[in-house]
Amino acid sequence: MMRASHTQVAIAGAGCVLPSGWGVESFWSAVCESRSGIAPLHSRQFHSERVTAFGKILDEDHQRSRQDLAQNLQRYCSPAVIWGVSAVRQALAEANLAPGQDGLRYGLYCCQGGFTHPSLASYGELLHECRGGEGADMRLLARRILQERVQDPFLVLKGLSNILLGVVSLALKLECECNAYMQGVSGNLAALREACAALQSRRIDAAIIVGSGSELDALALGALVQAGVINADGSQTLRPFDVQGTGGIAGEGAAALILRRREDLGDAPQTCLLGMTAHVDLDALNLPDKQVDLLVCAGSGDPRKDRQLSQTLARAGAAHITSGLPVTGILSAAPSLVDLILARGALQAQSVPPILGLQRPVAAHLPFVMDASRSAILRDCLVINRDDNGFSACYQLQYSAQAASA
Amino acid sequence: MSATRIVITGMGAVTGFGFEWQSMWKKMLRGEHCIRPWQPEGVEDGAFPVRYAAPVDSGLLPDYLQGHPAWQMPLEKRSRFGWVAASQAVTDSGLHLAQLREAAVLCASGAPAHMLQDMLLTFSDEPHETPAWRHLMGRVEQVNPAGSLCQSNDRLARLIADGIGCEGPVINISSACAGASQAIGNAFQMIRRGEVEVAIAGGADSVLSLDTMTALYLLGAASSEQRWGTELCRPFDRHRSGLIAGEGGAFVVLETLERALARGAIPYAEVLGFGSSLDGYKVTAPDPQGRGAALAMQTALHDAGIAPQQVDLINAHGTSTPLNDAAETLAIKAVFAEREHYRRLAISANKSQFGHLIAAAGAPEFIVTALACRHDRITPTINLHDADELCDLDYCTHQAVNRRVDVALSNSFGFGGLNTSLVLGKYREHA
Repeated sequence: MMRASHTQVAIAGAGCVLPSGWGVESFWSAVCESRSGIAPLHSRQFHSERVTAFGKILDEDHQRSRQDLAQNLQRYCSPAVIWGVSAVRQALAEANLAPGQDGLRYGLYCCQGGFTHPSLASYGELLHECRGGEGADMRLLARRILQERVQDPFLVLKGLSNILLGVVSLALKLECECNAYMQGVSGNLAALREACAALQSRRIDAAIIVGSGSELDALALGALVQAGVINADGSQTLRPFDVQGTGGIAGEGAAALILRRREDLGDAPQTCLLGMTAHVDLDALNLPDKQVDLLVCAGSGDPRKDRQLSQTLARAGAAHITSGLPVTGILSAAPSLVDLILARGALQAQSVPPILGLQRPVAAHLPFVMDASRSAILRDCLVINRDDNGFSACYQLQYSAQAASA
Repeated sequence: MSATRIVITGMGAVTGFGFEWQSMWKKMLRGEHCIRPWQPEGVEDGAFPVRYAAPVDSGLLPDYLQGHPAWQMPLEKRSRFGWVAASQAVTDSGLHLAQLREAAVLCASGAPAHMLQDMLLTFSDEPHETPAWRHLMGRVEQVNPAGSLCQSNDRLARLIADGIGCEGPVINISSACAGASQAIGNAFQMIRRGEVEVAIAGGADSVLSLDTMTALYLLGAASSEQRWGTELCRPFDRHRSGLIAGEGGAFVVLETLERALARGAIPYAEVLGFGSSLDGYKVTAPDPQGRGAALAMQTALHDAGIAPQQVDLINAHGTSTPLNDAAETLAIKAVFAEREHYRRLAISANKSQFGHLIAAAGAPEFIVTALACRHDRITPTINLHDADELCDLDYCTHQAVNRRVDVALSNSFGFGGLNTSLVLGKYREHA
């Protein structure tokens, strides 16, 4: 478990652009109303008969996000980076912060998805033209690239593994301490851990954590199928913790959090991040001893994996368990951030939204919330995340009006 | 300043100089370089405008990998370099695998090198048809499994952790040319906070492929100058014209001094501080005033509790690009504000000798800086014959310098305006 500190860290703001819509309110209403953002997969780049559903950002939400970023910066950006900037602006607005104008010292910690190559479509026409009998005609390819400059140099920038960090810093004119991470759950954990440490050491006054990514690319989806993360049987629904689950469905989007020291936020009730722990083996994940009121865990949609996961969830002894995964799909770059937003929403509303589509739980003895939202007194919460490679993380949250002793 | 002292006890490096840090260090002290004529595979002679690089002699890889699980795995070149370097660092540290079980692994491996041949295989036969999924699924088996298309960017970090048996945090840093320095800096912070006692940190990268080098050329980053031949990489020189790409990987083992001494290890050097910053200026160019770079150095020095006048050496980012070298010089002057301070500073730019390792760049440079602290020897900035009037510091040109190095900085700056600086100190029994 993260070392105890007398300096509590609270979530002061949140923002997101998800398949469920633009903003935290849209996400919260979607989970409460069991409205999924997963839809039939339509891509201009490829057609699939086996992967047929995807948690895609709606075009209107993408256009809305673009308004948050200057036109001259958009040429460097994949759509996911634009959503990331928008999510950060939402989170800052909720936290009532204005970098550069409020006199606070900031830290910026970013996470991108694991696959950052420019999409196949970017290369498609060129590659078709340069096909030879034995593969690519490299001489022709080189000539076309060099003489006619057919390859957009900004493709490399869009594919840069830290382009989210670069563009967010430019959009907000940030000159602060920073880092950029990769890998879903592990990257989110690293970003949150560094942010908390920087706040607790008082190097910074506010931390911006943002994750953003998309797997809407034929090869990325192919890799996820091969890894067994998403299903390739044409299924349209994602049903975590259900015995009838058919596997995962990929999604895309961005989520951002603003963290601040609890003591700097006045008397209003706050959701505090008390600690975090991680392990490469889910079974060895260290959980708090005491029972909690709420547990947020995405699940996978694969009944076998979810049964195994349920054994760990049972150890937490939670009164209620919920998941937002059926609403968003599997998010490559912000899995933990989205779950933390969901947990915070539940703690603030004192209400647990249901797990969309859950009818027959893989573990009948666990208190999965089904059918409709459930009002409850919620104070302590755990968020448990698991990557497809087994890496697992646990976050301990507490909702309280006053700063508690660590 | 930290109460917990953190030291370097193991090092491993794969560069154009070879597959170990010892020979790299010797050759660098002799003023040698490993830059040579290079062209992308499959391209006719002279057709590609970028004609020099510092490639690793991959033909030697089997000598270093056979017998290791990594040899059997479908891996990108950069992952193989990284695995060799990390294994070397662990061996060099004298730590047994059982002692590394709780270790953290922090790794930077950049953006993947895209293999156009692989991409081509995924396309449908019909010239006007967009790639159909059924074709892709049928053809994906044909795609080179060692290619980037099949590999997530966290592949190397996972490989090292699994190969060594680490169960601690596995963190993949993705901060472009500052990546490896960020990895080492984060490892230092994690140990200092008490989250782990030992960490393996560094990076590996290779951009020596047709499409990536083409893009770097079109962006104006890579030099296509012909007249200087293999002496093309000339940081701080009036005629510098862009970066010369290298490839490879380097890793270090960091641990608490207490733990190192308890097992009888002799540290190479001590890590004293770390700082990072953002330019907030441009994606493609550094702030010409070097404000972000200066902030990173100031933050690192503050973190270490070191005054500017205590610094003896700066291992510069020194890319040989017109913008970086002038901005970095200005940044150094801003940090070491008193003229007598920056005039006595030694500046060394390792990229003149082994090129720019992109995401991995900071790791071999960190190793060279540690060795400078240990041996009081500073590797030269070579090819600097006609200093730019904006670059008027002591860059230790041409020949290695024998000078006492008690405290040194290692700078790394990345595309996107990300800056890092690490502070190292000569290891002494008592702080």
